[in-house]
Parts: sequence; structure tokens; C-alpha cells
Amino acid sequence: MPEPRSGRAAGTLLVLRYSAASAFADFSTIYTWRTWTLGWLSRVLCQVAFFALIGRLLGAPEQGRFLLVGNAVMIAALESMFVVASTTWERRAGTLPLLLAAPTEPALVFAGRSVQWLASGSATAIISLCGLGLAFGLPLHLTTVLAAVPLVVLVSVSTYCFALVPAALVLRVMQLRNVVANLTMLTMMTFCGVQVPTTFWPGWVQGVASALPLTHGLAAVRAALAGADWSAVLPQVGAEVALAAGWLAAAVLAFRRLAEHGRRDGSIEFGD
Amino acid sequence: MTGTSALRGVAAAARFEAATLRRSPDDLMALLNAPLLAVMFLAITRHAHRGDLAGYAVLAPAVITVWAMGLLVSGEIIDQERWNGTLEAMLATPTPLQVVVLGRVAVVTAISLLSIVESWLVARVGFGVAIAVPHPGIFAVTLLCTGLAMAGTATAMAGTFVLARSARTFQNSLSYPFYVLGGALVPVALLPGWLQPACRVVFLSWATDLLRDALAPAAVPHLLPRLAAVLGLGVLGWLAGFAMLDRILDRVRRTGTLAHA
Amino acid sequence: MAEPPPPAVSAGQLTRTFQRTRKAAPVAALDRLDLTIDAGEIHGLLGPNGAGKTTLCKILATVLLPTAGTASVLGHDVVTSTAVVRRLIGIVFGGERGLYGRLTARQNLRYWSALYRQPAADGRARADRLLDRVGLADRADDRVETYSRGMKQRLHLARGLIGDPRVVVLDEPTTGLDPVAAREFRALVTELRAEGRTVLLTTHDMAEAEAICDRVSLIDGGRLLATEDPRTIGRWLSTYERVQATGVPPQLAAQLAELPGVAAVLDQPGGGIRVETDAPGAAGLVLRRLLDAGVTAVGTARPSLEEVYLHVIGQRGLRV
Repeated sequence: MPEPRSGRAAGTLLVLRYSAASAFADFSTIYTWRTWTLGWLSRVLCQVAFFALIGRLLGAPEQGRFLLVGNAVMIAALESMFVVASTTWERRAGTLPLLLAAPTEPALVFAGRSVQWLASGSATAIISLCGLGLAFGLPLHLTTVLAAVPLVVLVSVSTYCFALVPAALVLRVMQLRNVVANLTMLTMMTFCGVQVPTTFWPGWVQGVASALPLTHGLAAVRAALAGADWSAVLPQVGAEVALAAGWLAAAVLAFRRLAEHGRRDGSIEFGD
Repeated sequence: MTGTSALRGVAAAARFEAATLRRSPDDLMALLNAPLLAVMFLAITRHAHRGDLAGYAVLAPAVITVWAMGLLVSGEIIDQERWNGTLEAMLATPTPLQVVVLGRVAVVTAISLLSIVESWLVARVGFGVAIAVPHPGIFAVTLLCTGLAMAGTATAMAGTFVLARSARTFQNSLSYPFYVLGGALVPVALLPGWLQPACRVVFLSWATDLLRDALAPAAVPHLLPRLAAVLGLGVLGWLAGFAMLDRILDRVRRTGTLAHA
Repeated sequence: MAEPPPPAVSAGQLTRTFQRTRKAAPVAALDRLDLTIDAGEIHGLLGPNGAGKTTLCKILATVLLPTAGTASVLGHDVVTSTAVVRRLIGIVFGGERGLYGRLTARQNLRYWSALYRQPAADGRARADRLLDRVGLADRADDRVETYSRGMKQRLHLARGLIGDPRVVVLDEPTTGLDPVAAREFRALVTELRAEGRTVLLTTHDMAEAEAICDRVSLIDGGRLLATEDPRTIGRWLSTYERVQATGVPPQLAAQLAELPGVAAVLDQPGGGIRVETDAPGAAGLVLRRLLDAGVTAVGTARPSLEEVYLHVIGQRGLRV
């Protein structure tokens, strides 16, 4: 007997909730509040500061602030890229075949499994933006900051949706997970308008960057912080949301294919 | 231990590390990151119409790669032996652990220095800029001393990550703070005054200043004292590292823990 | 008159305690152990998990310091003469870990040979010979992570022999091996004795101890209980056999309890009985009685090490 629509939606949410709970549980075994602050947050602040300080080298404070905003928002994207590595934990723990055997869309479980990066990434990005922004003389008003916060979260989410695609692909070549995550992250960091405007790059590079997350979201953040009104910000937001949905759809397909291939060639082990 | 057998041990460890690295994409990752970092920094300087800073932009990825590999690869050498279950077997051999670590750290450092070539090629091929080196001798010697100092510091890291268990949680956070304090891209002279004393304790700050001076046409001032600072801080790292390795061996033999992860 | 050669391994009141956490009481893994192993023999160390076998192996390999007492290898103290001992002893820990998975078997062996201070040419030759000997020559240039469990165990043995040791310590080397692989491994071990090496083999498998050892020491709770001839162990195995049967009428079960050499007749959950014996040949008597009565759902089993220990310790009145 087919499930009623409301039942399916409720079931989906439940899966997401439980996988998210296990994700946060994993997270808390890695970090305590103290180590997260001293260890991770301080490194993030140093990373953003490293780039913001380039403004002093260039003798161009405006450029420094451009770098600061770009690299602070980049942190949200960076942490979302961790999902490429954390999904492989599932494979190592030997729970992969159990998950795939369950009657749920595989992408769903993996999507919920790593949401801790969304929370951590958004938080560290916003803290960097505000904290270092004050230190480096970035003009911050309550209204512009409040406008920027949801946009940073949007970048975090859209990068997460995008990252689920390499996350699915990398489950078959686990030893490359860190390399893939890192190179993708650095590519975004170079070409998506973080360090220099996208117009700096040749046309075809701009085209590729437009299809990646972060590019439009970051542009929206920059516009919001500059006090631009919604007509300038909304198109970029729309583009970012559309990209997120598109990449998420691709991720669902990628995970389905992973499951099918695994079933066919028997590569889904109970304990790799 | 005789000189020849010590050398033999170092050579064997070096060969071992080279063979292992070749099959560890994770460990070689920093070398894959270097070209992208070079593109990033060159783009920043070009966009700001500061072509004169291209040398800085090419140097920074190399410095970052040398430190990153020291931190993430050399720093994990002892821990890797523990996870692999081979630490005790290694203690049972007549070869001291210090000899093995020396050989392996040397190879990691040498390979990480290849990043300067990658950087230079990115500038030449991607941006059409040929970085000139007015003081090639000084540049080469400084690079060598930087490598030696990094090897020493990395040995200390390898010991610390085993002896102070909580230190490993912070391993990932020892990257960017040191790129800032070490003046990887932005010279430490441009940093706020209150940071200067901390910078001067990090060998990288001396090394990067010297390397940048070697890329400038003017004569390099105070060459020897500055090289001495780089080497001196590196030697401190060696000594601390070797002492820590002794402590680790002692702890394994006395308590039986530390041998397994 | 020449002095007699020193024993291959000698332990005197050897004690080793561990303190897991600061608040926990110290645990004695070895408790005043005395042991002597003669040169040229295969000596078995038989004991359950946690008996202290691995701890003893580590102390002999100079990887662990004793808390009290002494241990020496060929007359050299393991604490004060570590350099000499390390060249005399080869240790095979076994298991999945302990090899460099990303390297080939040949690379592994050459590396260890260098750590044992052998010149490169010698090391290469030695590695090739050992790979031949343990039957890994045609897979020598494959990565160890592709090896089966049995192949890894053979490589462990090759690695333990790379330094040409006079004394070879094997810590539970056949655990996890299938019977064929285990038998092949044991054959390799007996070859070592022919070469004049001394072998200390720890195991919790009594059949294995009986099969290849010249003498067997029983250890439990860190103490030496006895040193026996392997034939004694064989006798224990047959003495303490048990018989399982289902569909036994109660009167027959009562009769079985009266047979000589039957220690107990126990009811099994889910029906059936288990008959425990404590004399050699008693199991045969029980079986014949069952079969004569038409009960055919029968089986026999050998006792576990723990059960033999309980009987032996009980019989000798040993304090545990």
C-alpha cells in the first residue's frame, strides 16, 4: 500500500533528523567547546587574517577589505567541503551496506550525516567577518550584517549540496577523498571571486565559476555589506538557490548510481 | 653506533619514506595545492597592479608547502608507526629511532622544496612572468637552511604529537597562524608591533625575509647573522625533537603504552 | 673444563606490573616468573589470553622493561645489554598490523635488514632467500596490503628472521590462520630448530603446542604453573574430553553417570546432555554405551585450555 504523501515527507524529515543527530554526536567526539575555539576557530581567524593582511603589503586597504570579506565567506564553503571526507567515514565504519539496504534514498542519509559542517562553517565565517572586520576597519552596520548572515548560511548550504556530488564519487576511490576535497576547495577559492573579482579571469573560467556555488552567494554578501538594496542582491541569491537545487539533484543521482554500481560489482563491503 | 651503520640507517629510512610517499596521495597533497596557491597570489598582485610583488607571490606557496608537509607528514611519522603496529618492532632493532626519523624527515623536506619549482613554473607559464633571482647563491643557501631548519622543527613536532596527546587536536590549527607569524607572504615588518617578538622566534620569519631579499637587486644586509638565526632556531628544534624521541622510547619501555594507538 | 653454554632464555622472578590509569590498582601481567629455555629447543608457552605471554615476549625483545626480576638472552641481560640482545633476538608478533602495507614484501624486508645493520648487498640477498623460504617469492613485488592473512603471517616470520637471530620469539603466530596455512607455518618453525636456532612459541592452542614443541611451559596469571613434556598435554586432551548427545532417555543418562571416568552428566539447554570425563578412554566407553542403546546423535569435543587448567590446577592443589 503506497504511503500517503504526508507520511513520506514526515519520514524524510525523520531520516534527516536522526542522521543529523548522529552527525552532531560524531562532531562532539572530535571537538569540545574549548578545543573548537582554541583549535579550529583560531586557525580560521588566522586564515582570514592572512589574506586580509595582504592589503597592507599591497598598500591598498580597500583591497584588503575585499580579501577579508571574500576569505571570511570562503570559510563557510570550506567547511561544507568536509562532507567529501566525512561521508567516507560511513564506508570505513562498515555501515554503508546497511544504509544502502534500507528503503531510503541514499542521498538523504548522507545529506543529513554531515550537517555539522553547516553549523560550524556558518558560525566561523560570521565570527571572522564581524571580528576581523572590526579589526581591519570594515564598515559594519547592524542592518548590513543582519542581511549578510542568511547569505553566508546560503553559501554554506549551496556548497554543501554541491559537495555531495564529489562525496558520492569519492566513495569508490576513498584514498583520494582529501585530495579531491582540497583541490575543489582551492579551485573555488581561486576563481569564484574570493581573492579577485571573477572578471579578472578569462571568459571560460568565469563561465565555470558561475556554475559553482559561492560565486553568486559571495557577490550577494558583498552587495549586502555595501548597503545595496534588494534589487541588486536578489538576483544573485536566486542564482545561488537554483544552483544549490541543481547540484542537490545531481547528488541524488550520483548516490543512486553509486548504490546501483555497488550492487552490481559487489564493491559495497561490510568492513573496508 | 658506528658512522657507516648510522648512515646506512638514514639511507634506508630515506628510501623507505620515498617509496611510501609515492603511494600516499594524502601526504603529497601539499605539492598539489602549491600551483593553485601560486595562481591565487599572482592574481592578487597582478589585479592590484603590483607586478613588483610577483616574487613574493611565487615564494609564498613554497614556504607554505614546506611548512605544511613538515606539519602534516613529518609530524605524523611516529604516530604512523604506532597506528601501523610497527613501533615496537622498530624499537627491537639495533638502529636508534632518531636515525630513522632523520632519514624520513629529510626526504619529506627535500620533496617539499620542489614546490618552489612548481611556483616558478606557474608564474612563467600561467602569467608570463619570469622571476629573476639576482642573488642565486644566497637564495640557494637560504633555501637549504630553511629546509634544514624545517627538518629540525618537524622532528620536534613528531615528538610533541606523540607525547602531548591533546596536541594532535591542534595539528590542523598550526598552519595559518605560522604562515602569518612566519611572514610567508606578508613580511613580518608589516605586522602589528605586538606580534613582532612572537614572529622572531619562528625561523620562517627570518628565512622568508632573506629569501625575499635575495630576489631583490640590492645587496642583502646582515646575511650571516640572519642565516644563523634560521639555523639556530632549526637546531633548537632538532635538539628538542631528539630529546622527545628519547622520552618516547623510555615511556614505551617503562609503561608499555604509547606503542599502540 | 669448559663452562656450559648459557641457556637461550632465562627469566628469574620476572615481574611486570601495569597501571592503566592513575586511580586503578596496578595489574601484574607477570608475577615472579621463573623460566629457562635451553639452546636449540622449540619451547612452547601455553596459556589463555591475558596470561602474560605477550608481556614476556616484549620484555625479551627489550621493548618493555621489567618491574622487578631479571631476564637474559644467551647470557646477556635484556635491561643492561640491549644493544647485544637486539642483535640476537628476532620477534614475530603476528596479526594484521606490523607490516608496511603500501610497500612490497621485498621492500619491507630490505628496510628491516638495514635497520638490523646489514650492508645493502647482504640485505638484498638475505631478503630474497627468506622470501623464497617462506614461499612468497612470486608475490614478492606486490604490495603487502593485497596479501591474505596467511601470506602476511609468513612475511612476519621472514621479517623476524631477517636479522639472523639466534633466538626467535613467535607470539601466537597461527592465530587467525586456516588449518592448512597453520600447518605450513608450523613446518617452517621446525626447520628453524634444524638451523640451530632456539624458538619460543606462545600459543593458546594445546594441539599446536603438542605438535611441534620439545617442551611446554604453562603460564597463567603471570606465573609459571608447570613445564611439561608435550605428551603430557596429549594425555590431558584425551583425558578431559566430553561427549554430547541428544535424545538420551533419563535412565540411560543415569547409567552413564556411573561409568568409570565420568565426572559429570549435565543437561544442556534445548535438550540433550553433555558428559564430562576425567580419565583417558572414558569418552570411548560413553560413546559405546550410547551407540549400543541406539542413540546416534552424538559428538565429541576436546576440552578448552581453561578447562584443562582448572582440572590440572585443582589436581595439583596449585594456588592461582
